Amino acid sequence: MLKIAAYHKPTTLVEAAALLAEDGRTIIAGGTDLLVNPRYMVGVREVVDIRKLGLNYIRAEDGWLHIGAGATMRTVAQQATLQRLANGILARGDGWLHIGAGATMRTVAQQVTLQRLANGILARGAAVCGSPNIRNMATLVGNIASALPSADTPPALLALNAEVVLIGTNGERVVPLDNFFVGPAQSVRERELISELRIPLVDSDDLRGGFYKIGRTAEDISMVNAAATLKIQGGTITRARLVLGAVAPVPLRVTRAEEVLAGKLATEETFQRAAELVRDEVRPITDHRATAAYRRKMSAVATVRALRQAAGLAAQGEEWRHA
Amino acid sequence: MPELEIALTVNGRAVRWHLEPGETLLEALHAHHLKGTKLICGTGDCCGCGVMLNGNSINACCMLAAQAEDGDLLTVEGLAQNGKLHPIQEAFAQEGAAQCGYCTPGFIMRAYAFLQEHPHPDEAEVRAALAGNICRCTGYVKPVAAVLRAAELMQEQ
Repeated sequence: MLKIAAYHKPTTLVEAAALLAEDGRTIIAGGTDLLVNPRYMVGVREVVDIRKLGLNYIRAEDGWLHIGAGATMRTVAQQATLQRLANGILARGDGWLHIGAGATMRTVAQQVTLQRLANGILARGAAVCGSPNIRNMATLVGNIASALPSADTPPALLALNAEVVLIGTNGERVVPLDNFFVGPAQSVRERELISELRIPLVDSDDLRGGFYKIGRTAEDISMVNAAATLKIQGGTITRARLVLGAVAPVPLRVTRAEEVLAGKLATEETFQRAAELVRDEVRPITDHRATAAYRRKMSAVATVRALRQAAGLAAQGEEWRHA
Repeated sequence: MPELEIALTVNGRAVRWHLEPGETLLEALHAHHLKGTKLICGTGDCCGCGVMLNGNSINACCMLAAQAEDGDLLTVEGLAQNGKLHPIQEAFAQEGAAQCGYCTPGFIMRAYAFLQEHPHPDEAEVRAALAGNICRCTGYVKPVAAVLRAAELMQEQ
């Protein structure tokens, strides 16, 4: 039982933003973090359910893929029109993918555009986030709002250069996901709700991606995870983004390794050099899942495997779903 | 404590529930004498409290009951029809797929959701589908056999 005095169910964004401007209120969507992790209920007396705000969408528009805050992964994945629309935009390469705050992990995992975008690294991250039951409830936007460094989808979203749309009583602001996370369970979000995530689709046709999770089981929280996106022309890497999860207070983009990758041949030697830099940059902790030393060592392994996937060089048995 | 009232369908019957705002769906089920859905971990990690809500299998411990408003809920009590066990329940009994039995309703509800989408599963698919269901007796082999058996029984019907 949550110790709350009221449950609010706004039907407009304006109403929701006004509710959230008051002290002691927090957002509930999927609820799979809020109801089980007391850290999100500190000082909270009332909850605001954002699932009636019409944010259940994943749609491509104006060169972006938009993922709304309310869509269950499942609902959107099963809407044929949206699948066709998204694919069409992706083919034209002028779109964004918008993911609403209600999109559940399951919807993300099954969404056709996301399965194709950069080898589907975001869909893969969503597909290993918790159990099937959790993926039916949890939203992708919630995984960002919870801001846990070990989360499965932020590395892929960062590698895809995603942006966060925040709505408060003063209106809307857009924050690159690069600037969103501040610390464990801390972000730049104030008394605002995330209405959607959006991913640029411009120039994404030849974007290659890799995602590798190391956990005791696919369902468990990551000990280490890594996501990479590469553009490769004539064997040479022209652009790289590399992000590690569960090895620092925030999902960690390793720009030094990205700089080393850019301009080099997409070979094992290059990947190993990048992995060495990753091993130096990570700041892992020891907990009941793994020691800091093990996480540091595995950060290099996960990096190389994600990069091999992105370059189409993954060995047998190095598939994304680690068991 | 202020009260909420919601309407929903539970195992095919239209009901109205009076709730406290912070009540979980699992707590509300228990309060309404539907105790087949079990509380085990209470943190969304074991799927012991699995139920079907609007056609999706979910964990009743980590959502508010108020969020189930206007929903269509199916619990393990709703599977048997006219005193006859559902084929999944029948298969779990035939295969002896329970030790202490406490996690069994969660396994059965997860299997129910899975078999609706995958009526002809292979063993690997069943194992992946049940991967989130935790059995502290560590009885994992027989539930897999039971789900494969249930798929056969459902085909025969």
